[in-house]
Amino acid sequence: MKIHVVESVLKANDAVAAAIRRTLQQAGLLALNLMSGPGSGKTTLLEKTIPLLGPRHPCGVLVGDLQTTRDAERLGDLAVHTTQINTGTGCHLSATQVAEALAGLDLQSLAFLFIENVGNMVCPAAFDLGEHRKVVLLSVPEGDDKVAKYYTLFQQADVILLTKVDLLGVLDFRVDRVREDLARLNTRAPLIPLSAKTGEGIDEWLAWLHAQRAAIVAG
Amino acid sequence: MHEATIAMAIVDQAAAVAMQHGAARITAIEVELGALKQVVPEALDLAFEACAEGTLAEGAVLSQTVRPAVALCRPCGREFEPDLTALSFACPSCGQADVEIIAGHEIVLKAVECDTPAETPLP
Repeated sequence: MKIHVVESVLKANDAVAAAIRRTLQQAGLLALNLMSGPGSGKTTLLEKTIPLLGPRHPCGVLVGDLQTTRDAERLGDLAVHTTQINTGTGCHLSATQVAEALAGLDLQSLAFLFIENVGNMVCPAAFDLGEHRKVVLLSVPEGDDKVAKYYTLFQQADVILLTKVDLLGVLDFRVDRVREDLARLNTRAPLIPLSAKTGEGIDEWLAWLHAQRAAIVAG
Repeated sequence: MHEATIAMAIVDQAAAVAMQHGAARITAIEVELGALKQVVPEALDLAFEACAEGTLAEGAVLSQTVRPAVALCRPCGREFEPDLTALSFACPSCGQADVEIIAGHEIVLKAVECDTPAETPLP
């Protein structure tokens, strides 16, 4: 017997993601899914960003890693709320994991929710977490060829942060190569060159965050 | 290896369909994979085999076909198939790569073939 069905295989994840999106919308905060390879500076960026957003914009952080609570420890004093999600062997966060972490959170008190995904340029791109915006980081040491290699990640990005640009003079990294690849993949997302170390680009990144939050809160 | 998550979902959903129809065993499952989901067929096969163990789907054949990606150009409204060989999402009409993906991210369970009982009506 052959039974014909047409249903989405990831419908369980997508349904949870849709519910998360509704909850976040009602709470009036901006939720961002930060995705990149390991070591591109996601946690460092948050360490820099959260204090600059200031007490008027309280931040929550969900941080995904296979193991350890190191990132949550780094961010624990800065954010109003930090939850470490250990995925064990899982190479990406799922909507269900995010929903569980959100259950214990007072969302009304937050202005921004940063979801730091597991460091990986392939798998996180396949799972909707119910976020409002996707932030993709690429660090200079990773090389200027990564945009084309991991194109589905960059194609979906709402903003692309080129991090560790203080190393541009040290390493052979061609920013124009990144721009050329993005011209074919994604002309909508702004590319913000940034250094958490020198502060370059941080103002532009903060302005982008505030503009996106205003758009979400306005509905 | 997001194939493991996908394989688990396939097994769960196919088993639910089979149980609805009172089937004893699943012999084959057809899925369509969006071209942008970056699923490696061999990895999905391997993950499926592992996830199916001890379920109604144990030993079932998984047949995978790829669904092409379709993009909608936000600035000019043209629908087109992105050129994945050239890694280009640029619109053939206006040249912008500012698109909404309308197909290519989905994974669809198309059919489940089961052993016994006799033919039952479709849901």
